[in-house]
Amino acid sequence: MSFQPTIVSFLCNWCSYTGADLAGTSRMKYASNIRIIRVMCSGRIEPTFVLKAFREGADGVLICGCHPGDCHYHEGNYKCLRRFHLLQKYIKQMGMDEDRLQLKWISASEGKQFAELADSFTEEIRNLGPCKVKEVMETLT
Amino acid sequence: MIQRVNPDLKKYLVKYGVQDWNECFHCGNCTAICPLTDQGFLFPRKAIRQVQMGLKTSLASNFDPWLCYYCGECSETCPRDANPGELMMSLRRYLTSVYDWTGFSKLFYTKKIWEFLTIIILFILVIASFVVWFPKEQIANFTTYIGDHSFLKVIEAGDLIMAAVVAFVLISNIFRMWYLTILKPKYKVPFIEYFRGIYVLPGVFASQISFRKCDTDGRLYWVNHLLLMTGYTLMFILVVVFLPKFQVSEVYNWYHWQRLLGYYATFGLLFGLSAMFIGRWRKKSEKFKFSHLSDWLFIIMLFLTTLTGILVHIFRLADMPYATYYLYIIHLAVLVPMICVEVPFSKWSHLAYRPFSIYFYYLKKAALSKQHKSKLAAAA
Amino acid sequence: MEETRIGLYVCWCGTNIAKMVDVENVAKEMESMPNVVVSKDYKYMCSDPGQDLIIKDIKEHNLNRVVVSACSPRIHELTFRKALENAGLNPYMFEMANIREHDSWVHTDREEATRKAKTLIAGALNRVRWHESLEKRTVDMNPATLIIGGGIAGISAALEIADSGKKVYLIEKSDKLGGHLLNVDLTYPYMYSAQEMIKPKIDRIENNPDIDIFLNTQIEDLTGYVGNFQTKISQDGAEKELKFGSIIVATGLRAFNPDSIKDYDYANFPNVITSVEFEAMLKSGKILTKEGKEPKNISIIHCVGSRNHDYHEYCSRTCCMTALKYSNQIRSALPDSHIYHAYADMRAFGKGCEELYTKTSGKDVIFLMYDQKNDLPKIKKASVKDKCEMLIELNEKLSGESVEVAADMVILMVAMESNDNAKTLGQTVGVSLCGNEFYIEKHPKLDPVATTTDGVYVVGSCQSPKDIPDSVSQARAAAARILAKINYGTVEVEVTTAVVNEELCCGCQTCVCVCPYTAISYDEEKNVSVVNEVLCKGCGTCGSACPTGAIKCRHYTDQQILSQIEGLLSKSLELQEV
Repeated sequence: MSFQPTIVSFLCNWCSYTGADLAGTSRMKYASNIRIIRVMCSGRIEPTFVLKAFREGADGVLICGCHPGDCHYHEGNYKCLRRFHLLQKYIKQMGMDEDRLQLKWISASEGKQFAELADSFTEEIRNLGPCKVKEVMETLT
Repeated sequence: MIQRVNPDLKKYLVKYGVQDWNECFHCGNCTAICPLTDQGFLFPRKAIRQVQMGLKTSLASNFDPWLCYYCGECSETCPRDANPGELMMSLRRYLTSVYDWTGFSKLFYTKKIWEFLTIIILFILVIASFVVWFPKEQIANFTTYIGDHSFLKVIEAGDLIMAAVVAFVLISNIFRMWYLTILKPKYKVPFIEYFRGIYVLPGVFASQISFRKCDTDGRLYWVNHLLLMTGYTLMFILVVVFLPKFQVSEVYNWYHWQRLLGYYATFGLLFGLSAMFIGRWRKKSEKFKFSHLSDWLFIIMLFLTTLTGILVHIFRLADMPYATYYLYIIHLAVLVPMICVEVPFSKWSHLAYRPFSIYFYYLKKAALSKQHKSKLAAAA
Repeated sequence: MEETRIGLYVCWCGTNIAKMVDVENVAKEMESMPNVVVSKDYKYMCSDPGQDLIIKDIKEHNLNRVVVSACSPRIHELTFRKALENAGLNPYMFEMANIREHDSWVHTDREEATRKAKTLIAGALNRVRWHESLEKRTVDMNPATLIIGGGIAGISAALEIADSGKKVYLIEKSDKLGGHLLNVDLTYPYMYSAQEMIKPKIDRIENNPDIDIFLNTQIEDLTGYVGNFQTKISQDGAEKELKFGSIIVATGLRAFNPDSIKDYDYANFPNVITSVEFEAMLKSGKILTKEGKEPKNISIIHCVGSRNHDYHEYCSRTCCMTALKYSNQIRSALPDSHIYHAYADMRAFGKGCEELYTKTSGKDVIFLMYDQKNDLPKIKKASVKDKCEMLIELNEKLSGESVEVAADMVILMVAMESNDNAKTLGQTVGVSLCGNEFYIEKHPKLDPVATTTDGVYVVGSCQSPKDIPDSVSQARAAAARILAKINYGTVEVEVTTAVVNEELCCGCQTCVCVCPYTAISYDEEKNVSVVNEVLCKGCGTCGSACPTGAIKCRHYTDQQILSQIEGLLSKSLELQEV
């Protein structure tokens, strides 16, 4: 069997989580590797959350928020975007592949896009192979 | 080709009996229920649309109405009571006038007074010609003189002239029908198909087989129509082609072929006509709900012709020369206008257009399938 | 600290979940997770017996945390919180694991889906351990209402509220009240005169002492929260301040400009006019071409700018019926004219509308269907022999024929679109726009009047194209909602707000910069940030920006989310190894 990556996904409550719900109510099928965690706004996602996910064994982290301009809290998604760029740089410096962390905009009506994104992201992480952070950390300690 | 939408056409079509065109909102139920609908031929809905939009050219090239035998299923199913069946019936009247280059058909359908006038004039003419030319002394022995060679010669000549005129008008109109439905819309019919298709003509004409598909409540209409059609055609052939053999001085035995054929034809005519008369009178089935004046006229004229013909026969057998003579005059006075007016210009013309529409339908399908095949070949 | 006792409930949702997830196995296996006291599966957790099961267990087993693994929390989180409340437990001691929308409905391998359900539940179990009790808070309600827009929707809402003796501030950007209705002649389907409807209402508004009218007025700025808003308005350059508790946005619509549709060439044909221009013509009482002649052929083109991916994808809702109304009016004024409709679909829903269609189609009106997505009609200049001024060419869909239509006058049924300042006004009052630039309501089906900003309501055509009765009913519904709140006297505010731990706060003010609601201020004396809990909406952006971890976002604390990640992943890896 090919490598089954573990993926953690942070979705904002108003757009992306609703979009993922729509994918479900529309019975769209996508890879089961993704595990969704709900936050109120993508602006709430702290770098710590992402790093924690990698530390605990995630092979990829996917962040989704409202499209620019559509944020329920006006501009939380912009804050998220800025943090995301820094964070990508940071994990690269740590020796990880920066593509293991991605940020995408999914609106409440984009169930189909979410399902496609889940599939394509899973495929991408599968190609990257397992993330060794947890192993390394355990050997170090 | 771009056609101009003509909002006034349907107002004109009212004279042919078109009504309720407005109600249709094109749900397509009529097409779905129609036992004759074929792939690509969406009648009656398509014809209704052409009426609504007033597309004269499209209507003229549409022979769908001739393919319809008015089973009435469409009108029964129509959720809007748009009476698609009756619309097809009315369009048959309209198309008759479109094919007819003489203009009489249009005149008779749109201005009824002219139809009556023509009938009355012909009626009087026939009577007058008897009054003027018939030798008075022969009235007393008319029962035998009826088959006399000298008398028969005159009648037969008149018969043949009338048949020639009627045939000329009908055949030229069929050519116009071919021009309007096949040539003008530019259907490229492979030449060979004209010969291949010709076999359909006598078959459909003699058996009325397409009618059977439309017999939704038993086969009565088909039997009815078959009886009427064969009776009429047989009688027509007997009196026009075989008049010297049919109208003879001698009275044959009842089982002689000439009398048997005559009785069959009379029975067919009487049975078919009575069924139609009762149907139109009671208006119970969809197909008889609406009666245009031309429908009644056609039934009454044919009925009178048949009735007088029967009476002539009875009086002759009873050896009553005077009664035979006067009824013979009336018989001809009704028969002549019926054949001159009804056959080429009015309802009777359908005996020519219907079988030919099936023939043209065959040609059109052949042209379309060739076009489709060449398209596929081009795509490949 | 008391012992954590968790009750776990796995829902079948009939077969919706049970078909793809082995719920019995899940409930059995998860029972061994730490702190789980009871673990049960049940056919429908959201049903009354399902809720009673939770309530009974809370009392019997002395549970202090509950996890329900069922559908999306967006659907039933409130239902179960209520159940907890009924059992005497704080409603926030609850967490949901979404194993339907995010699991059973989207996956095809039963084993895999069952494993995924277990990991999601493990995350929820870990999270709920850190949940804290939160208490509801209320603030006083200011009984005044601000209504933006003096069209039929704004006017109806204003009268409804003022008739109950409550204060209304009615703001209109133009110099008179009445909106688009001022330019309308008759209204479909009953042909009532628009002027006779709107004039008495304007009179009543002008004479009502409870309504303050501000014409030629713009909103500069708006602050506050439900129950306590304040705004700066500028009227003819003069600024004023108003205070109120609720806002109704009734800014309406504008007509689509058909210049961009090349096939109609609106700019160059003098006798191609919009429905707005034709309405004015009807109001003036004479239907005449630009040359002053009575038109013989009048064509009406539907869906101009509507239902077309190049312009607006939505249906403008009122144009079909307005076009039918035109047909009736033209037929009465010009009995011998030819009337043609080039339409895409005839949409005659609503009271009296299908009847209007039936009535109109009996008046010798020709309906021609065109393909509004790919094949618009084309208006061309006619030649002399055509005996008309223009010709409209179109491929008629129902007959499959290419036809042309004579026309001396063409009426374009233009789309309704949102006002050009909809976006800026939306940002000022805190309402977002949907993809079609109309304001978004709170819930498209169950709450079409309120918005996601408490205390702000959208009514009339600024929310979506609407006809008069719909605008009026929406306006009055909003008025009723506001009156109910005024009557109650207080409003509940968000509980899941941020809070500052003053001992950890270093006074860097990063949070002050990121807060989109200016809910955080800086206390210079104490050198700490302070959250105004009434203004805070709980987005949590400050929490993730705080460098010292002094800000706690209630119900979305670092501890809770980190534990959820941990629980989820450890279960994930554990199951993978097996």
